[in-house]
Amino acid sequence: MHSPKRPEGIAETITVTKVREVLLVTMPSDPDDPTICALQEKTLEAMDQHTVTGLVLDLTRVEILDSYFARTVAETAQMVELMGGETIIAGMRPAVAITATELGVSLGRTRTALNVDRALDMVGRARHPKPRRRA
Amino acid sequence: MTLQECGEIEINVEHDIAIARRAVRDIAAELGFGVTETARIVTAASELGRNVHKYAGGGVMRWRALNKNERNGLELSFEDHGPGIADVDEAMREGHTTGGGLGMGLPGAKRLMDEMEINSAPGTGTTVIVRKWRR
Amino acid sequence: MSDEGKTLVSERLETGKALTLEVQQEMLQLLAESVKEYAITILDPLGHITTWTPAAVRLKGYHPEEIIGQHFSVFYTQEDVAHGKCEHELEVATREGRLEDEGWRVRKDGTRFWASVVITALRDPHGNLRGFGKVTRDLTDRKQAEERLRLQAQEILEMATVPLVQVWDGIILVPLIGMLDSARTQQLMERLLQRLTDTGSPVALIDITGVPTIDTQTAQHLLETIKAVRYVGADVVLTGVRPAIAQTLVHLGIDVSGVATRSSLTAGLRVALRMMNLEITAGNGDA
Ligand SMILES: Nc1ncnc2c1ncn2[C@@H]1O[C@H](COP(=O)(O)OP(=O)(O)OP(=O)(O)O)[C@@H](O)[C@H]1O
Ligand SMILES: [Mg+2]
Repeated sequence: MHSPKRPEGIAETITVTKVREVLLVTMPSDPDDPTICALQEKTLEAMDQHTVTGLVLDLTRVEILDSYFARTVAETAQMVELMGGETIIAGMRPAVAITATELGVSLGRTRTALNVDRALDMVGRARHPKPRRRA
Repeated sequence: MTLQECGEIEINVEHDIAIARRAVRDIAAELGFGVTETARIVTAASELGRNVHKYAGGGVMRWRALNKNERNGLELSFEDHGPGIADVDEAMREGHTTGGGLGMGLPGAKRLMDEMEINSAPGTGTTVIVRKWRR
Repeated sequence: MSDEGKTLVSERLETGKALTLEVQQEMLQLLAESVKEYAITILDPLGHITTWTPAAVRLKGYHPEEIIGQHFSVFYTQEDVAHGKCEHELEVATREGRLEDEGWRVRKDGTRFWASVVITALRDPHGNLRGFGKVTRDLTDRKQAEERLRLQAQEILEMATVPLVQVWDGIILVPLIGMLDSARTQQLMERLLQRLTDTGSPVALIDITGVPTIDTQTAQHLLETIKAVRYVGADVVLTGVRPAIAQTLVHLGIDVSGVATRSSLTAGLRVALRMMNLEITAGNGDA
């Protein structure tokens, strides 16, 4: 059977993994509206089930961020905050960041990181730790 | 070019927005648009496709490869037979929404594309045409 | 070209006498056949091909038997034919004696080449139009070289406007010079974001010392850039904010709260290093 360019079944799903004290939520490259809608439910459900300090939303594979997607991300981050956790958005691609800015979306006060590694380090910590005072 | 010059995709259910988006991404890439330009076009298509689904219950997206004065481009036309827009200028205003959105779809799509035209009358439906030229 | 022809002409030449019409014809034919860079063709008054040379075979791919008698519009692009370019060229050549043109032409196999074309009206002694001489030269290489140069020049210009300098591991310095319009901003954003993500640099140090004045547009574009930098997960330190610029920003109601701003580049660099959890010690002369 001839397969299409992307294996839809695999590419379309959100994965939620618990890494130590953090929930790692990975978005597929081009989620449709029902999948984006599921982001909120899945995340809040996982927040409820596990004891975690925060959530890293991995957008490394995401190719576009339209107003609906951005709104869902911002809302989810707010809800996570209400549940006592912090959200860090990781790995947004340059093309996606530029387009989202020009479109005019807002991600609120959500913190961001260059990649998942850095994001995991940041959860629960201030972005730029205060320098040690010199003696 | 192996690509055909024009085509259309029906937008009926929510998932069709994602299908239209993917088609636009492949066409834009085939026409030689760069990664960021492609992201702009796909994002605009996502906004306009969602409006068709949300406000008119469905419609069609037509696309056409353009060639004028040695310049290549892509034209997307979103057509529906929904309620139409009574005041187009008002709908284009940042933040204007009747659907509980952020009212950034239309003005955002205009910023992301090079040209945009809206033809709409209450009761007859709406056609939004956008164009992007290669640099 | 035949060897016999060569001897014939050279013999006659040695005599030093005026050449007969027959020999002149022969010499012209030899010239047309031996010139390699120029494809020489003769057209009848309506534009049908009557003479075809080896250079023309090489350039356009047609052999004499398949092209003689055809209209010369077969060498033109569909678009040019539709716009009546061939008729127009013959018309001008008839009226003015000569026409020069450069443009895309089509070979037998459908590929295009950039041609320099000269069409000359050929008239007999009584002034009657007998046809046209057409000299075509393939300038595709030159055209491509020009195009490459143009692109290079543009790249250099773009680089010169906004260089991106890795001043420290993790810090990219962006010395902005001049105003920001939307084309420049788009370009800057694309390059800066790519560089930040490629090098894993968490700080962009944007220095606006070279920006003479800030208008609303430049300020808006600056804010847009800062926002996009944040989305990819890096931070901005804005430096070179002189008193006049600070005043303008406030008067324009531009909100830069949340962005670390400093008046001098040195102070900004210190902030950037601190952001990366490095402290500048007294002995560190780099700061
Ligand atoms: N195809 C359409 N048919 C009818 N009305 C439309 C159509 N597209 C847009 N509109 C009207 O124009 C308004 C503005 O559309 P726009 O896309 O800018 O914002 P929105 O859809 O309300 O919110 P957002 O796109 O930010 O989620 C809509 O609220 C709606 O009233
Ligand atoms: Mg909308």
